[in-house]
Amino acid sequence: MITENMINNYDAIVIGSGHAGSEACLALSRLGKKTLLTTLNLDSIAFLACNPSIGGTAKGQLAGEVDALGGEMGVNADKAILQLRMLNSGKGPAVQSLRAQVDKVTYHTEMKRTIEKQENLDILQCEVSEILVENNKVIGVKTSMGEIFSCSAVVVATGVYLNSKIIIGDFTKNTGPNGYEPSTMLTKSLMDLGIEIRRFKTGTPARVDGKSIDYTKFEEQPGDDLNESFSHLKKSVKNKRVCYLGYTSTEMHDCIRENIDRAPLYSGKINGIGPRYCPSIEDKIMRFSDKERHQLFLEPESADTDEVYVQGISSSMPSDVQRKMYRLIPGFENVKIMRFAYAIEYDCINATELKNNLESKKIDGLFFAGQINGTSGYEEAAAQGIMAGINAERYIDHLPPFILGRDQAYIGVLIDDLTTKDIIEPYRMMTSRAEYRLILRQDNCDIRLTQLGRDIGLVDDKRYKIFKKKLKTIKEIHLVLDTMKNPSSLTPLFTAKNESLPKSGLTLRECIKRNNITIFDIKEYFNLFDGVTDSLLEYVNTEIKYEGYIKKEFEQIEKAKKTENIPLPNIDYSEMAGLRLEARQKLNKFKPATLGQAKRIDGVSPSDINVLLVYLKMKGFI
Amino acid sequence: METIVALATPAGNSGVAVIRISGDNAKSILQKIIREDLDFEPRKMYLKNVYTSNLVDKCLVVYFASPNSFTGEDVAEIQSHGGYFLAQQIIKECISLGCNMATAGEFSKRAFINGKMSIDQAEGIMDLINAESDAQAKVGSTLMQGKLKEKIQQYQNNLTDMLAEIEAKLDYPEYEYTSDESSDIKEKLKDLISSLDGLISDSQNGLIIKNGVKVAIVGAPNVGKSSLLNALTKSNKAIVTDIAGTTRDIVEAEYEYKGIIFRLFDTAGIHDSDDIVEKIGIDRALSTLENVDIVLRVSTPDTTCNVETDKPYINVFNKSDLLTSKSNQDYFFISAINNENIDALKEEIFNQTVKEGIQSDKLYLTNTRHIDCVKFASSALKNILDIFDSTTMDIVSSELKSAWSILGEISGITSDEAIIDKIFSKFCLGK
Repeated sequence: MITENMINNYDAIVIGSGHAGSEACLALSRLGKKTLLTTLNLDSIAFLACNPSIGGTAKGQLAGEVDALGGEMGVNADKAILQLRMLNSGKGPAVQSLRAQVDKVTYHTEMKRTIEKQENLDILQCEVSEILVENNKVIGVKTSMGEIFSCSAVVVATGVYLNSKIIIGDFTKNTGPNGYEPSTMLTKSLMDLGIEIRRFKTGTPARVDGKSIDYTKFEEQPGDDLNESFSHLKKSVKNKRVCYLGYTSTEMHDCIRENIDRAPLYSGKINGIGPRYCPSIEDKIMRFSDKERHQLFLEPESADTDEVYVQGISSSMPSDVQRKMYRLIPGFENVKIMRFAYAIEYDCINATELKNNLESKKIDGLFFAGQINGTSGYEEAAAQGIMAGINAERYIDHLPPFILGRDQAYIGVLIDDLTTKDIIEPYRMMTSRAEYRLILRQDNCDIRLTQLGRDIGLVDDKRYKIFKKKLKTIKEIHLVLDTMKNPSSLTPLFTAKNESLPKSGLTLRECIKRNNITIFDIKEYFNLFDGVTDSLLEYVNTEIKYEGYIKKEFEQIEKAKKTENIPLPNIDYSEMAGLRLEARQKLNKFKPATLGQAKRIDGVSPSDINVLLVYLKMKGFI
Repeated sequence: METIVALATPAGNSGVAVIRISGDNAKSILQKIIREDLDFEPRKMYLKNVYTSNLVDKCLVVYFASPNSFTGEDVAEIQSHGGYFLAQQIIKECISLGCNMATAGEFSKRAFINGKMSIDQAEGIMDLINAESDAQAKVGSTLMQGKLKEKIQQYQNNLTDMLAEIEAKLDYPEYEYTSDESSDIKEKLKDLISSLDGLISDSQNGLIIKNGVKVAIVGAPNVGKSSLLNALTKSNKAIVTDIAGTTRDIVEAEYEYKGIIFRLFDTAGIHDSDDIVEKIGIDRALSTLENVDIVLRVSTPDTTCNVETDKPYINVFNKSDLLTSKSNQDYFFISAINNENIDALKEEIFNQTVKEGIQSDKLYLTNTRHIDCVKFASSALKNILDIFDSTTMDIVSSELKSAWSILGEISGITSDEAIIDKIFSKFCLGK
């Protein structure tokens, strides 16, 4: 098959240049693989098709983890930041997350430049129409123009572009976001390879002209004054823009209700399954009819444009209804819509057909990452992208797969969920999905993952040096905290902080364990830690204050590990008496690799797990 | 599976004993023991001679083909005449024909493995098998019907509501929560804790139903302890003589009152003795006292009971037929020999041990694993209440979750998708 038409040999080909594709091609080429990135449109590299922001609850952790492994998302976000906030700062360290408003133009151009500069990496604008497979092994790809490229591994990262269709009321068009071309041939190739295709839906709000907004009717939302950044390579970033908070009105709700029969979601025009996480405004109003108003946020799209993203008001209403309803938002009386809100339907795969290295169970060397796996969100996509890139390299080099556990990273939670749970709507990461979130914090992404990234070869010297230095500083801080202080020297601090005076001496660490005393008080009262960043002190403070709870989570991890990693042989569960019917079906469908995975499959109960345990013992597997 | 055999009916005297054989060779063993190559029609009773090395008994035998049997395997059952000896002979014979003796609960375990029952049904059946009294059977069967599961699930749902609210606020910090979307978590916690603690304290009744009430009879020699045991159980189990120190070891007997089993431990009279055998008996009597639920301290007109105990006790005054005045409030006057006031004593023992009475439709935890789970959940929730005002919501949530999952070990619901579903059905979230 691969003969005269063959143009070039690559180790790996990445299809799609969104947030998953960008990370995948960078990881592959940085790991020394000769890589081709194909994209339908070079101007859509790392395009932020929906909201102009990176991070948020749980997503900030994902972005931090990608960065800690040597990925690009954090570095690129830092270059494009318009505003940075730390969400949940009063609600405990486990749920604090960074969120940045980013300049979507800068985000795209910077990522494009990084990819262009990367060694071992070629970029080509083309449409891949077919994945070439021999003996259930990837051997190359073919483009719509008939060109053939050979390779050992392919990462499919087509996002929402497979047979995509946008819907605005009665108007539909087979196109990707922003008028970009859809990919129309690849779905068939995937289906021919035996891959199950499903159809998901998502949506985006209108972009309006900032000059037409009466900002006096909105509440300003400034950034936080933080010494933080997404990437561990950078120390801090500046806030350059503000966001605004506003509300819908009852008039607007009435307008939507009056026109609800023209909403595609209700008229039956949309078949795809939409996420509960991003309901359209019509959905919100119909499902929560007693809520008098809904919040909305105005977010700047870029420093280079007046376009404003109206977070909270995504819709697929016809254009005339959109014009009417947006103007019923207080402050939007004279608003000018520049791009209409739309819903988009697209093909994706059932990710339970993937192994936990994101490789197809059916075709060797065929990897999938990003929205095609049924996720939503840039960070979820980037996380899968870097993992698919790493694992494609390890497949090519005959190395064992690189898997992160649920106890190591949100990335681990994400991929484990995707490959074991029957996901019926776009999947969004949430802190509540992680069972060990006191350990999976924003502030320790590098502590958790950078050494692993170094071991697989993705963390470069510069990043590693910063990491090593941080570890050294932490060690030094702990040495200082071991210092014993006699009661009299503690009296001023303890009195000021309303703490009962200790009878005997305490170490500084023991002082921090008191409710009202933090490491920053220690710093101030004893004049310590000169030159150490606040974020590092905050990290140490958290580790000390939450030591008991963190220890408890580690104990739970140890306990879970006893059954978690028991491998399951390839069994025909339909024959296994004792399992409930649903469990038999689900286990046969997902074929979990370990007992831990089996446990998390919806429809597999603890008693089914007991049956499996008894079976494994009886058959001598454990 | 290897073939196992055991008595399926309670050991002891009964009209009929059922011997159950389960496993791959159940049918061939049945053929061998009746010495006939019969092709049994499943679920049909046959009247056959059953041969053992010592005797032949006419028995009803029946064969169940897999999977339509109690364990889901091939099962044979032999209904012999009652009596310990005969049943043991048949079981011995089965073992010599290649069966293994079933370990406790093994039939249920196999039934569970083969999908014939869920784990809490299996646990319920184990309780039912051990049930000797009416009330015990009722507790066992309620459990079997899954009522426990339902109740625990309801508590889990309460936790799910609280978790959904907290998690929504953590995952969507910018969303504006209306007052009816914010509840008083502390109040809800207090309610739930009291429900769980109710289950725990009721479980003492559950355990009493399951294990019976243990009653020790103590007192000086020759105060009539053995007579009292005989009177309570309407038997002559304990040897009664006029000779002090007749009872040297602990005599056990039981009676049923209002559906509850009361296990009596008649102890050696406690006094200083030089007799080595009697001394051992006295030591045993003292250690028995550690493990009982209530103590009957028996005195007579001649002898006051000098045995002290920190358990609940009733001061029983025996031989009261010898008294003219019975006005002392501290004593419960009976005459064991004349059977005077014995029923009243039973009532008193019942009232002091089975506190609120047993309601057959009420839910009692009788399984120690379940009780431990509920206790763990309750203490986790109490811990949250203690730290609620001084800690952050992520910690509150993680403690709530651990309570939620431990309850899931009873109800079988462990997938926390339920919490996320709740978040999105209750709150209007998302961009």
